[in-house]
Amino acid sequence: MMKEYFDSLESGLQSAIAQGKGSPRKTYSLELARLGQRLYSGEHKVAWCGIAAPYDLLNAMEVTSCFVEFIGAMLASTGIVGDFIEATEQIGYSSDSCSYHRAVSGAAMKGLMPKPEFLIGTTCPCSGGLAVIEHLAAHFEKQLFVLHIPQNESREEVRHLAEQMRAMTSFVSKITGVPLDPDKLKSAIGKTNRTREIITQVYALARQVPSPINSKELSNFGIVMALFLGTDAGVTIAETYLEELQKRTQSMGSNPAKEKIRLLWVQNRIQFKNPIENLLEQEYGAKIVIDELNDITWDPIDNGDIYEGLARRSISIPFNGSIQKRITHLQKLAQDYRIDGAINPCNWGCRQGTGARGMIEEGFKAVGIPVLNLEVDCVDPRKFTEGQVKTRIEAFLEMVESRK
Amino acid sequence: MTMDNHKTIGYACAYTPLALIHATGFRPYRILPNLDCPDQAGRLLHDNLCPHVKRILDRAMSKQLPDLAGMVFMNSCDAMRRLADAWRVVCPDMATICVDLPTTTSEKDIPVFESELKKLAGTLGDWYGRPLQPENLMESLRLYNELANAFERMRSRVQQGVMRNGAVLLQEAYLQAACTEPQAMLSRLKMLLTEKDQEQKSDMIPMYLFGNVLPDLEAFALFEASGARIVAEDLCTGSRAFAEVKMDFKKPGEMLAAYAKGLLQRQPCARTLCEAQPGKMAEDIVAAARRHQARGVIGYTVKFCDPYIARMPGIRAALKQEGIPFLLLEGDCTVRTMGQQKTRIEAFTEMLR
Ligand code: SF4
Ligand code: SF4
Repeated sequence: MMKEYFDSLESGLQSAIAQGKGSPRKTYSLELARLGQRLYSGEHKVAWCGIAAPYDLLNAMEVTSCFVEFIGAMLASTGIVGDFIEATEQIGYSSDSCSYHRAVSGAAMKGLMPKPEFLIGTTCPCSGGLAVIEHLAAHFEKQLFVLHIPQNESREEVRHLAEQMRAMTSFVSKITGVPLDPDKLKSAIGKTNRTREIITQVYALARQVPSPINSKELSNFGIVMALFLGTDAGVTIAETYLEELQKRTQSMGSNPAKEKIRLLWVQNRIQFKNPIENLLEQEYGAKIVIDELNDITWDPIDNGDIYEGLARRSISIPFNGSIQKRITHLQKLAQDYRIDGAINPCNWGCRQGTGARGMIEEGFKAVGIPVLNLEVDCVDPRKFTEGQVKTRIEAFLEMVESRK
Repeated sequence: MTMDNHKTIGYACAYTPLALIHATGFRPYRILPNLDCPDQAGRLLHDNLCPHVKRILDRAMSKQLPDLAGMVFMNSCDAMRRLADAWRVVCPDMATICVDLPTTTSEKDIPVFESELKKLAGTLGDWYGRPLQPENLMESLRLYNELANAFERMRSRVQQGVMRNGAVLLQEAYLQAACTEPQAMLSRLKMLLTEKDQEQKSDMIPMYLFGNVLPDLEAFALFEASGARIVAEDLCTGSRAFAEVKMDFKKPGEMLAAYAKGLLQRQPCARTLCEAQPGKMAEDIVAAARRHQARGVIGYTVKFCDPYIARMPGIRAALKQEGIPFLLLEGDCTVRTMGQQKTRIEAFTEMLR
């Protein structure tokens, strides 16, 4: 079922692009469809991972790897997630946990997750994510390796994580029977750095006032792009965005688009179909110009010191470490993007993010940014009350506008 | 060093290296979630966080704390990390440290935890004004292991059923030990251990109890009143906090690494996992229930605890497969919610008669 879905998605997108109806988002979706095809083909070595895994290293080792939350998000976007979540409720999985993880467990139970060769858990971003990886390892009876992501970027902590990543490389080689080819790794890191450089330019363009980006184009972008690091696909996606935004910026020069309110979206978007982005843009001229994870928080990776560079990158993820680190990052984004307000979806079940709702709100207040805390489930549409959400957004935007 | 000149350091997790805190001259004092304070934590921590951390923060917000020289947090789960964050907002003038705690216990994790312990020792040394001396650590480790052994003797008496209200008395001792200087606690335990045997009522059903945070004595009294004799437990406010730390080292320079390994390899709570055997926790629970000849297993977990939530389906399945009856209680670490569960505990016990 999933293979067919990704096949038809891939061919549809490919023909649209071939007919000249392409867009950066279509290129991005095409590569996602191709990743889905590889995951479900039965022909590739697959690894289920945590969000902070070094995907470029795994790509260099020819392992098709993906974070498990991707499946939760995908099931939500296709509108079929409810059945999978329900399945977990029947085996005693509490509805108080994150729906990304319940959806993934349900998918595994119903045979919808391809059997991996192995699993790589990461302690960042969340305890729930690691626990579900362990659950999957037990379910598939496959070997598990856990990367403990330290809280800070001290030399010692970086060195420890680099050591763990080296041990992970041996673990992977042992299972796949293929040793890491140093030239392949160097080439992958070259692509990672190239992707990083282009994305940095994309974000710089998105920061402009008015921004050439619309609310949907970069949703989930930062987190998903991690999967394409070290690959040609990553470079292609980044280039397509850059070209398009450069074109738009030039053409906007004489005729700036309307942009009354600029918004920051905290953490992840709502993954199922919902009217929020359209409502924002069409009725209020409000635009999401920045998502929290759409930022480059790491330096280019030095070829002489690849593992330390990878370690630094994993530690730098804003969700890692103390909330103060995350708040400082949010405040910086708020200033860089000159936003007027922030929306925090407060995914029910997320202790890591939603757990700190009050402190995040205080952090925005300290730099004069109002926040709308929506209390939603970002994956499970069964709890979404459209009318209520609309009313709260409308009231919030009116308030934001009155402050301008 | 007498007890009087010990300054107090607060802690909140069973993984806290108590001997290290003690060796730097402090008295470790667990901030337990068992005081009734107004519910204010919601201002900083969302309703979806575990009541364990919210109640601890409520204590800080209500100034229901002893005079603390600092607070040592363990980065044991998302909720604990958020507690450390919120604590800094509520008590901005208090010294705090959040010690990173590996989630797995394999060889690669030992150096990570060892360097965290080193960092903690340095920080505590700064707070106290003197560095950690290896001989002090050695002595504190010895003391805490002696305490653990005394507890082990007490646990064994409870299991044999020769201590009336044994589970309650044991829990009371754990609560005292969590806040008392170890030498003084050792004397108290030794006295308790000299008391004469008194048979438990013979018609009680032996049960194995596992979970996270259940400090309340009344909860244990409630189990007994419902006909359940807790023959053994694995709780982070119970045996897990006072289990022996196995130490294996040759030179003083290896002591901290051995301590890191010993702490990590004690009976794990759900936040720790075994890479080599995913889902092992379920097997451990089955094995413990068998070892202690329990007729049933009671799980007590506080709401919103992701590490337990994710493991519960596996635990249920393993117990079912072994034909061991299981009752899951979910609460807010107080006897209030336990009280509401009384009928369920009674029915479960009745079913096993
Ligand atoms: S929403 Fe929170 S709990 Fe869920 S996967 Fe993301 S970080 Fe983890
Ligand atoms: S009860 Fe669970 S969520 Fe709460 S502090 Fe303990 S491990 Fe963390």
